[in-house]
Amino acid sequence: MSHAESAATHVEARQQVEQRWRTAFENSAIGITMADFAGHFFAANSVFRTMLGYTESELYQLTFLDVTYEEDREANEELVRELVEGKRQHFQIEKRYRRKDGTLVWGRNDVALVPGIGGAAPFWFAVVEDITQRKEEESARRYTEEKYRLVVETASDAVISLDETSAILLANPATTRIFGYDPAELIGKPLTMLMPEFLRKLHEVGFKRYLATGQRHINWQGTELVGRRKNGQEFPVEISFGELTKDGHRVFTGFIRDISERKQAQRAIQNAQAELARVSRLTTMGELAASIAHEVNQPLTAVNNNSSACLRLLANQNLQPDVLRRALQEIVADGTRASAIVARIRAFIKKTPAEKNTLDVNEVIGEVLVMMAHGFEENRILLQRELAQALPPVLGDRVQLQQVLLNLIMNGIEAMTAVTNRPRTLWVQSRIDESGDVLIAVRDSGTGLGSESDRVFTPFFTTKTNGMGMGLSISRSLIEGHGGRLWSSPNSPHGAIFSFTLPAAAGSSA
Amino acid sequence: MTQAPVVFVVDDDPSVRSSLKFLMSSVGLQVESFDSADALLQRKLPDAPSCLVLDVRLRGLSGLDFQRELAARNCHMPIIFITGHGDIPMSVRAMKAGAVEFLTKPFRDQDLLDAVRIALEKDRGRRERKKEVSDLKERFDSLTPREQKVISLVVSGMLNKQIADQLGTAENTVKVHRSRAMEKMQAQSVAELVKMIDKLESSVEP
Repeated sequence: MSHAESAATHVEARQQVEQRWRTAFENSAIGITMADFAGHFFAANSVFRTMLGYTESELYQLTFLDVTYEEDREANEELVRELVEGKRQHFQIEKRYRRKDGTLVWGRNDVALVPGIGGAAPFWFAVVEDITQRKEEESARRYTEEKYRLVVETASDAVISLDETSAILLANPATTRIFGYDPAELIGKPLTMLMPEFLRKLHEVGFKRYLATGQRHINWQGTELVGRRKNGQEFPVEISFGELTKDGHRVFTGFIRDISERKQAQRAIQNAQAELARVSRLTTMGELAASIAHEVNQPLTAVNNNSSACLRLLANQNLQPDVLRRALQEIVADGTRASAIVARIRAFIKKTPAEKNTLDVNEVIGEVLVMMAHGFEENRILLQRELAQALPPVLGDRVQLQQVLLNLIMNGIEAMTAVTNRPRTLWVQSRIDESGDVLIAVRDSGTGLGSESDRVFTPFFTTKTNGMGMGLSISRSLIEGHGGRLWSSPNSPHGAIFSFTLPAAAGSSA
Repeated sequence: MTQAPVVFVVDDDPSVRSSLKFLMSSVGLQVESFDSADALLQRKLPDAPSCLVLDVRLRGLSGLDFQRELAARNCHMPIIFITGHGDIPMSVRAMKAGAVEFLTKPFRDQDLLDAVRIALEKDRGRRERKKEVSDLKERFDSLTPREQKVISLVVSGMLNKQIADQLGTAENTVKVHRSRAMEKMQAQSVAELVKMIDKLESSVEP
């Protein structure tokens, strides 16, 4: 190979390398551009040109500052200055470009100042990535976050976030307003500080159990509980909780609504209803009494009249034996009539239930618990329903069974009013017993019956200061009228259990 | 001329009804009993002092309705109400409508008999007044129009001369009319005549 040939080959090879670099530069998936020391572009690949919407020749008329969005220029210049002064080797900047059509595009620039080699001037070399989409997503996320923050900040309900130890991570202004604490007094503190004493232990146990088992024992949407303000005042709340897992940690966010006013309104309605029921019952009783009086007074009047007439005739020595006989016969007939009326009234009062229907015991229990809701709340009774599903129906008088249940539940509540050192829990249970009867039990954690357990069913026996002593005695005869039994037994460790059975309705299968 | 007094009983309870009849018969009263107000209305009432012992609660027309009905028929027989359960508003209504007594069953026999006696007395008085007025009216109607005119002027306090002037006739003629009218009216004096005309006039009003 000649020298000339060898030189030519050398040139060819160089051209090949250069061509390869040029092709790589032009086809790079990322924008690449070069500018002279003064900032004039002299090279820009396809991605960069497309990003800014300029042709190559148009771009070479401009400096990098010309295409930089006005507000971002100063920061850019500052970095350039630092680089020129040798304070750094290269820099990175996220900035907006003004495209040819005037729209903005976000770019992430990695910029280096390439030193001049062999007398050549130094120049700027920048790699530019279009990050518009990422920026838009970020902005959208920030917007969403801001929106949620605003919702939480302005919400009228208290919004509180908790960590897995039940410590408060966040509390919104409504929390301050409702509970009376400053946010600083709440952050890092246990949630139980917002609860009355009697709920704290229950919360701790329930929360731990949930973390361990994942089983919720209360409804997380709209459960009514009791809150405690900084000043010690307790008030009804409705809470809803949600759970979020973040970096392997669980965060609970709760919404707590002060429902004092709602409760007050409900109570007013309930009182009005109770009063109405009482009055209408009294009215019925009054009417009954009046009609009894009328019924009995008729024969009594006849007896009086007939006897008086006889006495008058006798006084005048004018009483004929047949007149006397007829009068006495009428007197006897009217006496008999009066006693028949009395017998009918007695039968009516202790009537065997005329209104026997097929009933779902759980439904009857549900109705009574609704009626008693106010009583539970007022006396801070924790109600536990343990109702067996698929119970056979029973044949019974709905109102009488409601009366019995009301009576037992009220007794249970009253037995717990003195209890302060443990939760006042009332269990209402239903199940099928060994003989296939439906068994209903009301258990309380009250003071218990002690040695009196046998006597409570005796008429006029009472352990209460204002009791009549008739409730359990009547309840027992009502249940016996249904073919069932009612008895009491001690609850462990505290309180009493009152249980009764009702035979399953014929033809039903358990 | 006047018949024996009659007590009417209306009660839908047969034993109360018959015992009332027996009680009142034992003191010599004549009693007629009915099981409903309608049954009593079917009967032509006798021309004798009478009263009504009426149960408030009746089938069909109630006692209080019946009281109104009788008043509407211009029958002013005194009423004694009896009731199995007297409530105050009901008895107030009955008494306001003119009942003699309101007795709650069972009542003392004497209370009923007293009430009946008062009621019959009241009816007797009423009947006498009614009779008197109708007699007076009969006499007054027997006067000629001229005599009636003269009498009305006499009663208004005018002297014979003044009457003659007003009627445009002689004083003597007035005297004749006047004495004939006094005779027909069976009035002994002008004062008595004034009373008679007063009774007649006041009876026109209810």
